[in-house]
Amino acid sequence: MTLLPFLVICFAAGAASLLARGNGQLSTAIGIVGLAGAVIAAETIGADDRLTVGGADLIGSAYLRLFVLLGSIVAFLLALLGLVTTSHRYAPGVLLGGIGAAGLALALRDARIAVIAATAGGLLGILVTIVPPASARGVVVAGRELRALAVAGVLAILAAAWIARPLEELAGEPAVFGLAYLGFAPAVAIRFGAIPFHFWAARLADAAPEITLPMLMAWSPGAFAVVALAWADQSVAPLVLPLSIERALIVAVGVVSLILGSVAAWIQDDLEHVVGYTIIADAGIAILGLAALSPAAWEPARTWIIVFVMVRSAFAAWAVAVRGAFGTRRIAALGGWVLRAPVLALSFGLIFVAAVSWPGLVAWQARVALIDLNVDGPFVVLITAGALMQIAVFGRLLYVGLSRPSEAVVGGLSERPVWPAAMPRRPMIGQSGTERAFERARHALGGAVDVAWVVPEALRANRTPIAAALVLILSGLSLGVASGGLGVPEAARAVPGQEQGPGPSQSESPPSEPPATATPPIETEAPSVSAPPASGGSPIASEAPASSAPSASPTLLSSPSP
Amino acid sequence: MNLALAGLACIVVAGAVVAVTAREARAALLGLLVALLGAALVADPLPGPLPIAARLASAFLACRLIAIAIRDLDEPTSGSRLGWPVEAIAAAAAAVIGFGTHGLGAPGEGAAEAQAAGFAVGVLAASPIVSSRDVFRLGMGAILLLLGGLLVRQGLSGTPSELEQLVTSGLVVGLGGAVGVVIAGARAAVGGLAVRDQPARGIMPREGRHLKP
Repeated sequence: MTLLPFLVICFAAGAASLLARGNGQLSTAIGIVGLAGAVIAAETIGADDRLTVGGADLIGSAYLRLFVLLGSIVAFLLALLGLVTTSHRYAPGVLLGGIGAAGLALALRDARIAVIAATAGGLLGILVTIVPPASARGVVVAGRELRALAVAGVLAILAAAWIARPLEELAGEPAVFGLAYLGFAPAVAIRFGAIPFHFWAARLADAAPEITLPMLMAWSPGAFAVVALAWADQSVAPLVLPLSIERALIVAVGVVSLILGSVAAWIQDDLEHVVGYTIIADAGIAILGLAALSPAAWEPARTWIIVFVMVRSAFAAWAVAVRGAFGTRRIAALGGWVLRAPVLALSFGLIFVAAVSWPGLVAWQARVALIDLNVDGPFVVLITAGALMQIAVFGRLLYVGLSRPSEAVVGGLSERPVWPAAMPRRPMIGQSGTERAFERARHALGGAVDVAWVVPEALRANRTPIAAALVLILSGLSLGVASGGLGVPEAARAVPGQEQGPGPSQSESPPSEPPATATPPIETEAPSVSAPPASGGSPIASEAPASSAPSASPTLLSSPSP
Repeated sequence: MNLALAGLACIVVAGAVVAVTAREARAALLGLLVALLGAALVADPLPGPLPIAARLASAFLACRLIAIAIRDLDEPTSGSRLGWPVEAIAAAAAAVIGFGTHGLGAPGEGAAEAQAAGFAVGVLAASPIVSSRDVFRLGMGAILLLLGGLLVRQGLSGTPSELEQLVTSGLVVGLGGAVGVVIAGARAAVGGLAVRDQPARGIMPREGRHLKP
């Protein structure tokens, strides 16, 4: 039952905020109050919560709680950031609906319902893509977004429905499972805007408000990917099928997205485009998690998804704050921003550390594990190097920031806090102690009224430092998540109803199956369908991977043996 | 074959044919409404009264949201270049394939008629979803594509649970709202339904040096 308040708050407040959009202030107020309520409600979600509604189960889990809690906090901070920079009246409602739909999708045991919920949540993005006054560009981007959502949704619906029934007669047709897998995985790639499905996502930054980009490009597709991961782990991976061609295609999409996304982010001149392409690059790693088809990918894939959506949210917030401070998104026009905005520079450093990370950090370990599960030998080095190309992206921004100050930066807003008006002086004129006591009380009251009167103007005058502080909070949070804080690894490892997830244990006990590189090539294995994908034809649990099922986790690209 | 379900499936497909071929936007919308209403009932066993009510209400609401966006529209949609007879024949062929392959390799838990209708609606959605610059037709294609998927899902996995019907209703309303927003945006931006793409912001066309004397 603890999940219900969160869903009710998200959907009710989101709907109210969107319905009240005619009055911008009221709509924003409803949205921000709703987001604050969503944060509180998300905090109370129980890991063992279970709710049956209309013949389907909604199940709480530590991962669900962490995902929606972080999502709500990010949405709340982004909405506040929108207030002090580039507000959009639809944004709070869309953020609420998006995180609510993500929570619903992650809670549903039945993948067939979860993909419908995740698709419906994605539709909210179209509301903010066409920013009034409508432009042809916004309409084109919204049309592409609608097309991508429809195609991804139908692929996922068909794949989930195809093998969610007793499949004894399909035992001799492993191609069916391959086709279903090949339907669902590209659906995830389309939702993320992974290359080569990136045409709609690449232009989204031109049309949608900046503060909504993380929700449209990372959080909503991230929830969709988690559903897909659970579906694949439960329905396809346990069957140990010879799906090497299908997996190779998915790996190719992931690797191409990772490398070309980083290259595109490096050469872009628009900050929002840089943010968008780094999201696409990171999504490539998440897609590798889906390509692994191994229980060993369960924990790192889920860890990576939550880490990358947090880090990219912080990066998007940083870009919004930079634009708010200097009035431009062009990187070439941001010369000298580091010295002019030291708090944003500090946030940038934290985001850089969280995004690139280093060995030992949870983010690094998850990324390396997902690469290791799919490729072998020199390809590991090559793809890891591709992932580290983000150093060049951040390095370029830093180089520009340390160069000669540009006109936009010199004329931009400072981070130094200011008080808009001097407080009036009130000299004491009372003679006796009693008179002076009353006078002090009156002065204190008058001073408080003076301060309160100036607060709105002070907030307006201090937009840049407030935005910088919000970005700093988000950056710190993202670094905390990337380093394994807030119980991310435990939440990613856990499966509802089980203490241990399907991934390798943290303990010293030997794994129950040989490591990925030691397994025989997938082509040599007989197409065995010994385990039905869903017991008794019951719906596929979107949060319950097969922990005891055999695993086929061979790497696809191996170095030639001597 | 259940004749009642077959009749309903025919109505759904007919509505979809009208939705993708009619040049009059209101007629196309009416076709979509028929398809959405009929799709809720092409299931064996039939859903309970509450899920059916939710699906019907969502169909009306989705079409109402689109109707708001096309109010006072004085230009026709681009319609189908193939013409309705070709679209209808293609849909019929797809329906036969869908009916004949019911279950797609294993016994289907739902009605074969639902899968047939799903295949037909999916084929009808392909053209507008792939090639249309007309946002109205694009919207019709998107809704029909998802409707086709949901129908095939009903044929493969049986009648959806009440919660799935409720979530599906939300999806249908969301689709209607999204299509309405896109249509209204197009009319506000260019005064019509056909929108051409523009170069990305910040990328200015370069002057070709080779053209200079």
